Order: sequence, then C-alpha cells, then structure tokens
Amino acid sequence: MTGLTASSLSAAGVKAAPLLTAQGVTIRFGGVTAVKNINLSVRPGEILGLIGPNGAGKTTLFNGLTGFVRLSEGRVTLAGRDITHLQPQARSRLGMARTFQVERPFEDLSVLENVLVAAFLRHRGRAAEDHAYAVLERVGLADRAAQPAAELNLARRRRLELAKALALEPRLLFLDESIAGLNPPAQQEMVALIRELAQSGLGIVMVEHIMHVIMTLSDHVICMAFGELLAEGTPAAVAAHPDVIRAYLGDDHD
Amino acid sequence: MTTAATLPRPRALTFGNLWLSGALLLVMALYPLVFGKAMNFGVSTLIFAGLAMSWNILGGWAGQTSLGHAALLGIGAYTMTLLATPERLPAFLPAPLAPWWGALIGMVVAVALAAVWGGLTFRLRGSYFTLSTIAVALVLRLVAINSEWTGSSEGLFMPELPTLFGLDLFDRKVEYGLAFAFVLLTLVVTHLIRRSRLGYGLQAVREDEDGARALGIDPTRMKLIAFMISAALTALGGSIYAIYLQAFEPHTLLELPISVQIALMAIIGGRTSIQGPLIGALLLSIFGEVFRTVFSNANLLIYGVLILVVTIYAPNGLMGLFRRGGLKLGVNR
Repeated sequence: MTGLTASSLSAAGVKAAPLLTAQGVTIRFGGVTAVKNINLSVRPGEILGLIGPNGAGKTTLFNGLTGFVRLSEGRVTLAGRDITHLQPQARSRLGMARTFQVERPFEDLSVLENVLVAAFLRHRGRAAEDHAYAVLERVGLADRAAQPAAELNLARRRRLELAKALALEPRLLFLDESIAGLNPPAQQEMVALIRELAQSGLGIVMVEHIMHVIMTLSDHVICMAFGELLAEGTPAAVAAHPDVIRAYLGDDHD
Repeated sequence: MTTAATLPRPRALTFGNLWLSGALLLVMALYPLVFGKAMNFGVSTLIFAGLAMSWNILGGWAGQTSLGHAALLGIGAYTMTLLATPERLPAFLPAPLAPWWGALIGMVVAVALAAVWGGLTFRLRGSYFTLSTIAVALVLRLVAINSEWTGSSEGLFMPELPTLFGLDLFDRKVEYGLAFAFVLLTLVVTHLIRRSRLGYGLQAVREDEDGARALGIDPTRMKLIAFMISAALTALGGSIYAIYLQAFEPHTLLELPISVQIALMAIIGGRTSIQGPLIGALLLSIFGEVFRTVFSNANLLIYGVLILVVTIYAPNGLMGLFRRGGLKLGVNR
C-alpha cells in the first residue's frame, strides 16, 4: 500500500481487495458440527465483529480461520492466497496474528521478552529488541518491560497479548475477547487502541461478548447460533434482527 | 510516550549471568591444584557436569525430558573407540582414526540419530518423547550386547592413542583438561543460546506450544534443533568419558541409571537456569561420594527421595529457589 491507508481508500469510494475470505467453512468434531457453512470477508482497515450466544461456535470458527483447528470443508484465503492447509506458524509469516481468549503469556519470561519472541519473526538481534520495546510503548506497557509476565494483572495481560500479536507486524488481526472482563476505563483504552489499529490499515476480526463494544467498533457484524449464520450486516441491522434478539433473549420471554 | 524515554530501558538480549559462569569455571580450574590426589573424582564430575549441561539444551530449554541420553553418550564412546582400534576398523578404513576425528564422527552419528528420532516423535505431544528415549537407549544397549563388533557384553578396551600436541591422553591431568574444555564448551553454547532467537523460540515452545505457534514458531523444528545440539555435545562427552574409563561395557555405559543421573543433575540444579545443571552435577557428585561411603546401597533410594522433594518443592531446581529468594541468579539469566 503505497502511502494510502485503507480508510482513505474507502473514503474515496474505492474498495480494497479483501484481505481475508472464508468460503463454506465447516468444522465437525466427530458427529458434532460446530461450525456450518460460514462465509465471510475482511478488507484492510475493516473490523468484523463476531457475536453469538455461548456455544455458538465463534471460538471454533476463530481457531479454524487461524489454523489451530482443521477445517472439515471450505476454503480460506489471505490476500488472495489459499491458506486453508497452512499451519498457524506459516500463517503468521504471511501476516496473520491472533490473541487468545484465555491470555497465555510465557510466564517465565519478562514482558519485554514475551514480545521479543514475536518480534523475532521479522527482525534479528538488537533490531528485534528495539521493535519489541517500540510495540510495548505503543500499547502502554513500556514501564512494565522488565517485569515477569506472570505478575501482570488481567488488563495488562490483555495488552501483552495484543503487543505480542502486533510485534508480528500483521496485516490481519484476530482478537478473541480482548475486552470482556476489563473495567470500564481499561475497556475504553482498548477500544481506542483497536480503532487506531484499524485506521492504520489492519483488517480485524474480533469475537466479543460486550454488545455495545462490538456494535460501536465493528464495520460489519456476523451473528452465529448453533454453528450457523443467524444474521449479518451493519451493527444496527444485526442488533435489530428478530432472530438475533430471539437467540440472545430466548423464545419465551414475555 | 515521552515519559518512557526517560526510564532506563531494560535489556532482554543478554548473555545471562557471565559472572557466575566465570566463578564456577575458576573453581573448576583451581581444583587440580588443591585436590591433585582426587583427580578421578574431578574428571568424572566435570564430564557429568558437561553432560548435564548438554542434556539441558533439550530438557531445560526445549522442555523435552529425555531419559535416554545414555544412548548418545554410548554413541560417542563406541564410535571413537571402534574407529581407534586397529582390530575393529570397518573395512573401508585403512588405518585407525585419531580420537579427535573419531569423536567428531561420533557427534555426526549422534546428530543424525537425533534428527531421525526427534523427527519421528516430536510431532506427538506429552510424554511420548520421554517414553521413546527409554526405548531407543534400550535398543542400542541390546545391539551393543549382541554385536561381536562392539565387544558384546564385555565391551571395549581403549587401544593406544596418539598424543594430542605431545600430551598423553591417559594422563589424568590431561583428561581433566579435556573435561574442563568440554564443560567450557557447553557453557559457551548455552550462553550463546540465551542471547539468541533460538533461545527465545525454545523457551516459548517449552512454556506453551500453541502460544509459540501463534507467534510464527514451529515447535517441532525448535525441538529438533535443540535435540541435535544436545546430541552432538553429549556424544563428545561420551568420547571423553571413554578415554577416562579406558574400558567400558554396555552395562556401565548404556544403562537407564546413567540417563537418569544426567537428567537428575540438571533437574535438581535447575533446568530453567543457565548454570543450574552444572551446579546440580557438582553438588550431586559431592553428595554422591558421601552417600556411597556412608549409605552404600541406599544410594539410589536417596536419589529417589531427592527427585520427589525437588519436583514437589522446587520445580525450577536449586537455582529456581535462589530466584524466589530474591537473588536474581536463576531462570535463564
């Protein structure tokens, strides 16, 4: 992208080619179909929100798209390249990064070292360390750089997860519940950070439980239930969709 | 962030605690001057210290517990001795090889074995690798016992060896020097790993394989590299050990207790520390001498109790305890 950010492109009415596409993604575990025939696409600078009640298959889809779970059917492309059968480690080289729902720092390592592990993907030696530190500054963790990762509180662990993903210098970022469980000020900081990342041209797929967060951040929302697509569209359209309301509130509310 | 610029920036890429390594090397260098009469103990302790350090590149850094390192030790010892013995030379060799070439070939053989062995087992998770290590060592022992070429159950005698820079390799002082150089080499390699991309990749794989994969690291590849380095160094130690023993048999060299002892030294000293295995080896050797004289056959029982105590109360070994105590000597530093 020669200087043009994705947002300026879309502002000009030009739609960039999709960064990520998924076609007919189906994931079965034995006889259980956890994800059934999901299609989606994400463009640079776009935030795709993935919602649905517990057990809807969001995290399984997430794991399927990032390569941690094998697809039973379907196809995934990243920047036009078929990555359906690539291992997660190969996907990160092509520009895909993810966080984990249960944040998992390398506990024996310091905060800086945690990010350094990721920075080594694209940098060597001191340059990797400099890059790791710069990412820590960006997510506001630089003052904790020397601290053992095991000692961080939840909000900072989430930031560390994000820092590790960002240190890979991805084009596409998967966020698995980065905001749930944070207190309101920390939530707002995270929301601002995610928005900033999208504005810099990153494509983002996020799974989130907190409705108002996903509704304000997302450009496009997909709602799943029982592994299937329930509704999709703009946040407002999905929120108003009768099936979505029924899935969240149940049938028999009076 | 203007405030961050004023803070002293911490460093991650360092060689770790070089002072501690230096102090330990100094103690080992001074040993012959003080305990010149106990050179046998000194040489074997140093060899096992180097073996524990070698083991730890796989067992500590990559977190893959091997209970079969006796096999790699044996490959080093047997390869070097067979290639140096005129009566046992393979047909394609016109003359016996000097021990240093034999040791080098032993290292290559060990690396090749590790590559195949790791390639087959590292794709599996959990304790499969550990189980396979016991099996491989067992198979190798059976081969050694049943093959005429390797001297069957009687083992091998070391032939006359050429001198190294005019030094007699059977002189205990020279052997002490070789063992010292071996420990030094394993320390240097470990410090280099500590400061490298490889070192961080290995630690990430040890802590969380999926977390590592998400950061672009291939766990199988990382473990393989660690295994191959560990195998090469262990085989080198095996060659030096063979020179020290002068005669060895499968029952002394290729048995499970040897593998366990190497692993135990590293675990008790602290597998997540650079110098832990070395410290563990020194302490266990000293206590081993005491236990052997005081308790004779209860020796192994005490080893067993030690494993239990350490795994329950100090999973990161003695060096881990130091770290918890606030002395920042431990964990890969």
